[in-house]
Amino acid sequence: MTSHESPRLGKRLLSHLGATSMLAVGLGAGLAAAEAAELKVMFQGDPYEITIITDVAKRFEAANPGTTVQLINTPHDAYNEKIGAAVSAGSLPDIMQLDAPFLANYVWSGFLQPVGGLLDKALVDDMTASNVSQGTYPIDKELYAIGLTDSTVALYGSRKQLEELKIRIPTSVDDAWTRDEFEAALKTLSTAPGVKWPLDLFRAYGTKTEWITYAYEPILVSMGCDVIDRTSWKATGTLDGKACVDAATEMQNWVKQGWVVPQSAGQNQFYAEGRPAALAWGGHWFYAEANAKMGDDVVVMPLPKFGDKGASPNGTWIWSVAKTASDPAMAGKFLSFMLQDPAYRDAYKAHAGFPGLKSFAAASPLYADKGAMAVAFEQASKSAVPRPPHPAYPTITLAFQNAMTNIFDGADPQEELSKAAKKIDDDILDNDGYQPFGQPE
Amino acid sequence: MSTVTSASAPAQAARVSEPRDIGAIVKFVAVLIIALVVVSPLFLLFVASLKPDRFQILADMGSFRAFWVTDPSLQNFKDIATFGGALPFGRYLVNSLIILFCTVLGGVFLNSMAAFVLAWGRLPGRAVVLTGLIGLYIVPQESIVLPLLSLVNKAGLGDSFAAQILPWMASPLYIFLIYQFFIQVPRDIYDAATVDGASPFRIYWSVFLPLSLPVLATVAILLGIETWNQYLWPLMVTQTDHARPISVGIASFFGHDSVYWNSAMAASVMMMLPVLIFYLAFQKWFVSSFISSAVKG
Repeated sequence: MTSHESPRLGKRLLSHLGATSMLAVGLGAGLAAAEAAELKVMFQGDPYEITIITDVAKRFEAANPGTTVQLINTPHDAYNEKIGAAVSAGSLPDIMQLDAPFLANYVWSGFLQPVGGLLDKALVDDMTASNVSQGTYPIDKELYAIGLTDSTVALYGSRKQLEELKIRIPTSVDDAWTRDEFEAALKTLSTAPGVKWPLDLFRAYGTKTEWITYAYEPILVSMGCDVIDRTSWKATGTLDGKACVDAATEMQNWVKQGWVVPQSAGQNQFYAEGRPAALAWGGHWFYAEANAKMGDDVVVMPLPKFGDKGASPNGTWIWSVAKTASDPAMAGKFLSFMLQDPAYRDAYKAHAGFPGLKSFAAASPLYADKGAMAVAFEQASKSAVPRPPHPAYPTITLAFQNAMTNIFDGADPQEELSKAAKKIDDDILDNDGYQPFGQPE
Repeated sequence: MSTVTSASAPAQAARVSEPRDIGAIVKFVAVLIIALVVVSPLFLLFVASLKPDRFQILADMGSFRAFWVTDPSLQNFKDIATFGGALPFGRYLVNSLIILFCTVLGGVFLNSMAAFVLAWGRLPGRAVVLTGLIGLYIVPQESIVLPLLSLVNKAGLGDSFAAQILPWMASPLYIFLIYQFFIQVPRDIYDAATVDGASPFRIYWSVFLPLSLPVLATVAILLGIETWNQYLWPLMVTQTDHARPISVGIASFFGHDSVYWNSAMAASVMMMLPVLIFYLAFQKWFVSSFISSAVKG
């Protein structure tokens, strides 16, 4: 019997074993499939940032077995083109970095989803007011993007030179130079020995970057106008209004007087040999460059108050989640992990990242009280003005940049600003007002 | 008399050669200036690549110090010559070489085959095809990037070497260049090979290709330069380091608020060196290829 039954039993056992194994394999595969996730993360950055982001992605994978992060590192200069191509090809990543002023355009186009509910609440509560403003869409007031960092522009000078010339050094936003003080300082510096130009406005960044709108729009705002009316979303009457024309004429005068470093002279005149430029209207990142060459002689001052109030720019590259993300919760988990990761924060701190989170600011000696850049960080809470959060922003910035370039080159400010305003309004009209923008609330 | 003659001859010769000398000097100075204008950016690039401090490069720009390095170092090259890490430049360089080799080899083969068929094949409507082909040459690459990207993604070729090689191997310009060469080959040669029983492919391979080395070299050089300098397409089609070429890799040194000039310069030297070596080795071919493409194209 045994000898007859055993093969049958063996067969039955084998078949059971086979079935069980298949079930186990199937279940395992199913479970693995359920747990496995791939996050596609598109970003830009210099080699330092690429390394930081690559490292934090590895740590996230280690902390979340079964999840892989595919990093799509895209050169900064071609980032928007790559997004455009991804949209056309229907292959937007799950998470994408974007330049803050372009957020409204992306949200309006339907590329992004709100991230407030996807992120750790503590992280959202930790954002500075400026960080919230750069990531918020004005129509639904929802948060669509977040960053560890933010940005600003400050005025840099040589402490030794300013003290020798008895020019007052402002120490807080409230204490910023007035328009008259600023112009008096430029006049004094223009006759100081060795000074070729009293002011570097970094015209050398050119029109291919966001610099002109980013760095010069606050002058307009401080003088009581803007590139567009932020309620009616019309540029005509605002950008070409008297206040803006006065502001542009004022800037043109600086150039006419020979006070501004020309575009052809490069970006290094503040600290190049002999220090041909006395003051620099530079981004927060400029401190590292200047400090490397001038040491503690570099003094950081707030942007001048041209009118009743001061204004400074903000906004940088921030993180968003695509509407088409395969697993939005996982995308939120990744962003929460990354922005709270101690090593990620330390790396940005070491690179003088401008804080966009309160806890990050507290841990950054450069921006903390008495830090060399404390006054620059003070601007984030007192004078930061985001660039117009409107879907027409790509047109707004291009029109304004072209106008300012022509004005610097001697064109009539009224004429140029009117042309720019018309271009902006035409684009808005061509898109039926980018509704619901411009509609009564 | 003879003394007078011998004394006046050199004076006369001097008078005759004077304008020629001045002309030669002017020509020399002009050539020297042009050479300086051409060489100085390359020299600056090379010098800057030996300065490990990116801030120093910036500080030196705009003065003659930009052309001088006091403490030369190969550190920038060591930093970027990696096959792993966040920016594996060694890999990018190898990727570029793979793409270059495959595109040029495949391109020479494909374009010459197409040209052979157009020149000698029994193709109905050959003239129409040829006219259409020439017409295609005026379509700029930028205008077809998006549909091509969509096509490549649908074919499952995204982020691959194939996506960077296949679309650019065949080109109307190169087909036309080789076609013009092929139609000048005497009919007797083709007929003799046919009488000997050679198949069309055999005639193409054993008779026409060996005869066409100058034009094939022209195509290889032009296609090689075009492929090596590709930026927009690989930027669009590559997602990861897997198949990314060096031209796109270099752009990563330009961040939104900082530029790693030291690394960018070293990487540019790395990208330029193979071309420079190749050019110096095959200078004669380069010159003749440009002349022939200009005349025939």
